[in-house]
Amino acid sequence: MSNILQELEAKIEGIQSASTSKTNVGIVREIGDGVAKIEGLSGAMLNEMLEFPGGLYGLALNLEETEVGAIILGDYTKISEGDEVKTTGRLLQVPVGKELLGRVVDSLGQPLDGKGPINAKEFYPVEKIAPGIIKRKSVNQPVQTGIMAIDAMVPVGRGQRELIIGDRATGKTTIALDTILNQAKINQAGEAGGDPNFRPLYSIYVAIGQKNANIARVIGTLEEHDALKYTVIVAASASDSATNQYIAPFSGASIGEWFMQNGQDAIIVFDDLSKHANAYRQISLLLKRPSGREAYPGDVFYLHSRLLERSARLAEGYGNGSLTAFPIIETQAGDVSAYIATNVISITDGQIYLEADLFFQGIRPAISVGLSVSRVGSAAQIKAMKQVAGKIKGDLAQYRELAAFAQFGSDLDARTKATLERGQRVVELFKQTQYQPMDVQLQAAVLWSMQKGYLDTIPVERIKEFQGKLQEFLSTRKESTLSKILAKKQIDEEVEKELAAALEEFKVIFK
Amino acid sequence: MKISREARRAAREMFRLSLVDGRLNTARVKDISDRLVTEKPRSFLEILKEYTRLVRLELAKRHAVIESALALSEDESSRILADLKTRFGNDITAELRVQPDLLAGIRVKVGSDVWDGSVRNRLNTLSQQL
Repeated sequence: MSNILQELEAKIEGIQSASTSKTNVGIVREIGDGVAKIEGLSGAMLNEMLEFPGGLYGLALNLEETEVGAIILGDYTKISEGDEVKTTGRLLQVPVGKELLGRVVDSLGQPLDGKGPINAKEFYPVEKIAPGIIKRKSVNQPVQTGIMAIDAMVPVGRGQRELIIGDRATGKTTIALDTILNQAKINQAGEAGGDPNFRPLYSIYVAIGQKNANIARVIGTLEEHDALKYTVIVAASASDSATNQYIAPFSGASIGEWFMQNGQDAIIVFDDLSKHANAYRQISLLLKRPSGREAYPGDVFYLHSRLLERSARLAEGYGNGSLTAFPIIETQAGDVSAYIATNVISITDGQIYLEADLFFQGIRPAISVGLSVSRVGSAAQIKAMKQVAGKIKGDLAQYRELAAFAQFGSDLDARTKATLERGQRVVELFKQTQYQPMDVQLQAAVLWSMQKGYLDTIPVERIKEFQGKLQEFLSTRKESTLSKILAKKQIDEEVEKELAAALEEFKVIFK
Repeated sequence: MKISREARRAAREMFRLSLVDGRLNTARVKDISDRLVTEKPRSFLEILKEYTRLVRLELAKRHAVIESALALSEDESSRILADLKTRFGNDITAELRVQPDLLAGIRVKVGSDVWDGSVRNRLNTLSQQL
């Protein structure tokens, strides 16, 4: 007890010695819609936190000749004209660290899940300059999304920025969620395996301007699959202020950067940046900044480029971790040439384009092969996947072209027919139920069987059934072969022989 | 009242002309405002309002407000004023205010800079830090 008293006294002593403090103050002249105009504050700095009466804080965004424009964090209705505002000399910070895993926080890092306070030891500023050239390392380790179509055709590497773009309700969030679920699966297996070199991949899901019901559903799904313990959720829902929605992705990036700078890997999903741009537009217009195309401010490109530039892979001496970003953009009627969409496409290292037409044809995930690319490409694939998936993207693109053409005529030469048959089977193979990510070794085995023509004799309608049973057969009866693929990371002669034998055996069973 | 951009610009220009060696010149301010009122250019009321605001802010930069919980003695106030004059120059004006809210101590405000040595401020920082 006396210890506590001494501590308190020491604290008071420390405060008293610096009792006369110099601050800079201003007077609120205008307040409304979460934005305040403050007269005075001649010493305010850009992005500095300002203290309002009643424990409220704001951010100084506009520094003008005699006024400061600030956005309010929290309930602005409690502020009135004439209130005194103080500078604090601090930047906005969020708690970071492993303590946040399994938690749902708001854009300032305060818990929203009722699981008690977060005892984080470290804090990072929300706005941080992205790592420079020297600190970076090229991307060559894979992020396994567990979605065969992505892992085979648009592979994502650790430290990459891969955009997920598509119309509403085409499965954008589902792809992000599948990826998070697959990481949890891999982490669990890795932790159980006890490999000292195993690097778990943590996930951060940032919800910006989403319906609360959707956020609750995401949390529910993660909990159901026991993936929440590897995930941090930063939520700024549609009912939160535009300020909070604007800050949320930057807070999420700070939380992710902690992992990156401490020799760990993380992925971050920004769901979605179209709404983030809208929130920023609202703030900018209220601050009376000049507006540009579609009334977005001139720096809306910089807004997203500085955010996404923060995901990187760091070299050994500089943190030795990575942050992989999956920004999401919602298009209107499939228009990828909209303002924000083209901005983010040009910033990211590739995109996964989801098409509504494919979705309604039953091809789910509805990934458009022609428009989806990964600029990191096969550098981020294990060799086994490179061996089996190298030509699939080209083949599939050829199939799509021929399929459109073949609708008109029935007389087709043998090669065209073969391409069509193969294409149909690949399309079937890539259909995948949501929340059922697939292991990479299984993906490689299935694609190998396709490449070697084992599927050519199976009717297209039965491909899914064949695939399902083959996967079951391989993972229950031929586990050793699968683990060999995983360990060797390639399909060498030995594995090839074993796979061939397994396929022959399975074909007899499958009727 | 909304002040147009043109009026703001004109007011800023007038304000710039009222400065001599970086200090506000009373004679010039009077002259400029008199001519504005007699000549009545377009939206002169807006210009005058904005101009007044700029002059008010400039004056506040050279004006100290000394607040104390209890009325200061003659000796105390003259010492504070003398100290302010050495810091900010001889043309600084000062006003004394009694503010029982502060509980004890004094608070000096010059422009938007504040030196707060009041008990109220200490209590506030204490309550924030604990």
